[in-house]
Amino acid sequence: MLSPAPNTTTPTEGSEDDVRIWRNPLTAWGGAGAEPEVPTIPYKDPTEIWAETRKSGVPLLPVGRLRYYYKWPGHGEKLWSKLRYWPTRRRILHVRGEYNPKTLRREKTIVDKRPIWWALGLLALALAPFAFPASQLNTLLAAGAFFGIYAAINLCWMLVLGTASIFSLATYAVVGTAAFITTWLSISLGLPWWGLPIIGSAIGLVFGVVIAIPATRLDGFYYSLLTLGLNELCRVYFVQSKIFGSATGGLYGADTYVPKSWSPFDQSMLGYYAALMLMCGALLLYRMVDGRRLGRILRMAPEKREAFAEATGVDFRRARIQVFVVSSIALGFIGGFYAAHYRGVGFSIFSFDTVLLGLAMLVIGGIGRAEGAVVGTAVVVFLDKVLISWGPLRLFAIGIIMLLVVLYLRNGLFGIKQQFRAWRDKKKSERRSARAEKGGEMLPEEATETSNKDLVYWRRYDKIQRDYLKSLVSSELIEEHKSNPLGQHSEALERLLLYFRRQPLPDKYAIQVVQPFKAYRIVALSGHRGVPPRVVEDKLYPSQDEAYHGVFMRRVQDLLES
Amino acid sequence: MAEAREVLSVQGLSAGWGPLRVIHDLDLIVKAGERIGLVGLNGHGKTTLFYAIAGLTGWQRGSILLNGRQIGRTRSQGPGRYTHQIVRQGLALIPQGDEIFHGLTVEEHLDSGAFTPRAWKERATRKRRIYDVFPPLRKLSNTPVGRLSGGERRMVSIGRGLMAEASLFLVDEPSLGLAPKIGKGVLDALMSIELSDSAMVIAEQNIALLEGKVDRVIGMHVGKLKGGASAALMLNSNRDL
Amino acid sequence: MNWPYVISNAIVLACIYGTLAIGISITWSSLGLLNLAYGFIFALSGYGAWLTSQYVVAVTPDALRGAMILAGGVATGALGGVLVCALAFIPVHDKPNFTIRGMIATLAISLMGTQLLLWWFGPRSKSLPEIFGASKRSLFGLVLTADKIGNVIVSIAMLLIVLTWMRSSRRGLEIRAMMMNPHAASIVGIGVRRTSFYVMAITGGLAGLSAVLLSQTYYIQPFNGLTPMIKGVSIALCGGLGSVPGAVIAALLLGFNEAMTSVALGGQYVLMTQFLLIILIILVRPRGIAGLLDKAREA
Repeated sequence: MLSPAPNTTTPTEGSEDDVRIWRNPLTAWGGAGAEPEVPTIPYKDPTEIWAETRKSGVPLLPVGRLRYYYKWPGHGEKLWSKLRYWPTRRRILHVRGEYNPKTLRREKTIVDKRPIWWALGLLALALAPFAFPASQLNTLLAAGAFFGIYAAINLCWMLVLGTASIFSLATYAVVGTAAFITTWLSISLGLPWWGLPIIGSAIGLVFGVVIAIPATRLDGFYYSLLTLGLNELCRVYFVQSKIFGSATGGLYGADTYVPKSWSPFDQSMLGYYAALMLMCGALLLYRMVDGRRLGRILRMAPEKREAFAEATGVDFRRARIQVFVVSSIALGFIGGFYAAHYRGVGFSIFSFDTVLLGLAMLVIGGIGRAEGAVVGTAVVVFLDKVLISWGPLRLFAIGIIMLLVVLYLRNGLFGIKQQFRAWRDKKKSERRSARAEKGGEMLPEEATETSNKDLVYWRRYDKIQRDYLKSLVSSELIEEHKSNPLGQHSEALERLLLYFRRQPLPDKYAIQVVQPFKAYRIVALSGHRGVPPRVVEDKLYPSQDEAYHGVFMRRVQDLLES
Repeated sequence: MAEAREVLSVQGLSAGWGPLRVIHDLDLIVKAGERIGLVGLNGHGKTTLFYAIAGLTGWQRGSILLNGRQIGRTRSQGPGRYTHQIVRQGLALIPQGDEIFHGLTVEEHLDSGAFTPRAWKERATRKRRIYDVFPPLRKLSNTPVGRLSGGERRMVSIGRGLMAEASLFLVDEPSLGLAPKIGKGVLDALMSIELSDSAMVIAEQNIALLEGKVDRVIGMHVGKLKGGASAALMLNSNRDL
Repeated sequence: MNWPYVISNAIVLACIYGTLAIGISITWSSLGLLNLAYGFIFALSGYGAWLTSQYVVAVTPDALRGAMILAGGVATGALGGVLVCALAFIPVHDKPNFTIRGMIATLAISLMGTQLLLWWFGPRSKSLPEIFGASKRSLFGLVLTADKIGNVIVSIAMLLIVLTWMRSSRRGLEIRAMMMNPHAASIVGIGVRRTSFYVMAITGGLAGLSAVLLSQTYYIQPFNGLTPMIKGVSIALCGGLGSVPGAVIAALLLGFNEAMTSVALGGQYVLMTQFLLIILIILVRPRGIAGLLDKAREA
């Protein structure tokens, strides 16, 4: 015999006066088993709890955030999508056109502004010599040439580190070896200056293939340590060998592209622009490798997902080696250029500090981005070559910047924006969740991680609704349901039943007919096709109505427990 | 045992990994001297509950009192950063599966369980006690754990947990992956350990193994406890009818 | 060829390199941190020993001078290790991309540290007094200088002390447990942060020891930590990162190779043959000599 337990916790506790009578409208037509009058609880306003929950002092801001884009007036989308540049079929600028639904005017948005920034930056570099103060002109021009060459080297290194994700530290070894050998060839064989980069590329190719062999077997740190050792090996070899001028701190005397008859100022200007051209060439190479097929392939195989990429048919090892060899050739070219620019090369190119500074340039800018390599190089070169008066302290400053960047930034200076956005979104989401705590089912940590923010609000709504429904549960309703599980019910009971019926299928209670009209049992649906329901309890109900009531009681209990 | 001390009192605990919330607003009180069975299917949060108590989940929130001291905190990163402090306050977690140190011998392994200063001093007597509970280990005491069989490893791992001077033992699926007979032996060994002022929670999928051996059984279902755990179960009497 | 001479040289070198390599190995396997600031710690402890020899030794009795200098170097090294740990390990150890970021952080520390040393002590090299005395002893027709014997004895003794300490003491058990299974270690109640300080102090101390021992033959300069570090790293690599026996075997192999090369071919070819050997070993066994034991971490 089912008997509702004495209500102790429900809000309707003990107030006899509040019991109202609900008249069943269907009894006028003589509904079977329907009682004409049923005691029920008084009406409760569902908006009360809603208002209570929303009665937060803090305004509830809308979820999500729209990026702000400046809207340019007029047409232009078609024009911009027609402009493509050779040899790719890429648009120069990604411009999206749309009609403003309010003003009914045509508008356009520049979706990706990076090409503009690049153009402005390169223009500034091209015009910079005219803005240099006269007192520091020589220093700045020399630093500018240095910057161009090192930015080119770092772009190639970035291809290895970022695109191919081979942690090689032998970049300067390739450059240095090419520079030394071409210088030596130029001195002993009288090679002209334009031959140096070409020979350098060949040396880079050989060197690249040789050091790519271990890269096929080794991974991660093993390879980086090995290449660090190779760098040291090159240094010791060149410092000790007699033909490469072990006494003079380097090998000098190569043919140079700077005409000797020019004035020193013109010579520096020529050097500056030549180095800038070299950097532009490296940028183009970066674009060609990273932005096209090889880069795409490698982007499919990021670290720790290699197995997946392999399974989908991406031969990432081959692509990595290809990128590595290509960038080695480019590094050899730069080595030849280096020799032709400085008329030779010093041993310092192999020193550990050079590797460290190069790594600092990459890390400060952010690994995996061309702009990171260029800007990082600019920062470090400025500190290292322009602020010479600081002495050893300037390297210390570079070290500090590098340490801070590594400790606090996820991806260098150019990752700041993204990192800040992620952090702000996390904070906002946390705050939002904390505000919604009164009714919020979702925790801050969970809310930040959920991509569909609708869920945050849906949970909250569900909580409000359940709170309301909990307050409706009373012995009157249970009695009412027991006497008449189907058919029309009082409003409170109807609300409860509607909520129960709306629940999702997994773990929803159902009635199983064990023996028609004799035995019923409560089961819970699995919610998955092909997976049978599980039996909830062993109890058999003698009639369907009692089984209905059993299900109802279980649901009420689950509601109260939640 | 109404007057017994509360060893563990969990209130409003939620925990999970990243976007996944495994434990939902859970309340649990464990009193001294109790041996509790925690029963639930795979993936319903038994292990996560234990990890949350030990501070090893991705994030967590809610109050956890161990011996009256707060060890729960709202945390959204750094799993395991505070675990050693929690362990020091008297928690022994016996994890599921092979969380062992392959190269250490059985004896060193047992030593490594006794990191609290007092337990370290008494480790000889404690080890003798463990060897009494698990006699097969006595012969193996100088073998690296990596060479032991699954059942022996489980014994070592449980023994390591029991070495600690803990007031709460959380045993995660002691019979998992073991032959039924050995599993039963391991459970019997767990039952034979005297809990004077401490408590033990055993998570187990196989309810038949726990039948009649524990003080109470709590079910765990999608991150919530069912039966015997929540204090005010309204309409509880209806279920029995 | 004078075999006893070659072998004695090989053993001396192996001892010093082994001390370095084991430090790097332990750091890697227990913390997952590749400490490339090792060269800086090396140079720093050289200066520490030098300062001790300048200021402290004057007030100590003669018999204790060598020991004082050694202790000074080891203590400075340990301090340097703790510094590196505080700067490069503690802030990033539970953040994404820890391995790469940690390595770059140690590189940054190395950059800053060597520049600081250069700035503070100037570019002129310093030399330590002979701590083992200048006596010579003849054994099986072989003249052994005191510093050779001292080097071997001190480094083997130090290694034995460290290894026994790691075998028997509670902290050593902590470190070894963390080397094998960091997750289980935290369950047992081992705090990563605290243990990392012990680890770094010990490995720093080992670096300091080898710095003092090596400065018997080389001078102390801000940048002279680099070559020993690269040698130590390559030996650790060759032995398999994270394996102490592997590092010992590799140290013996490479020490022997170095001694052989400098006798047979000449000193300038040492690095070359060494790297060829390392590359060969690594191509055959990508995880080093004992790399198969390295199950604890995925490198």
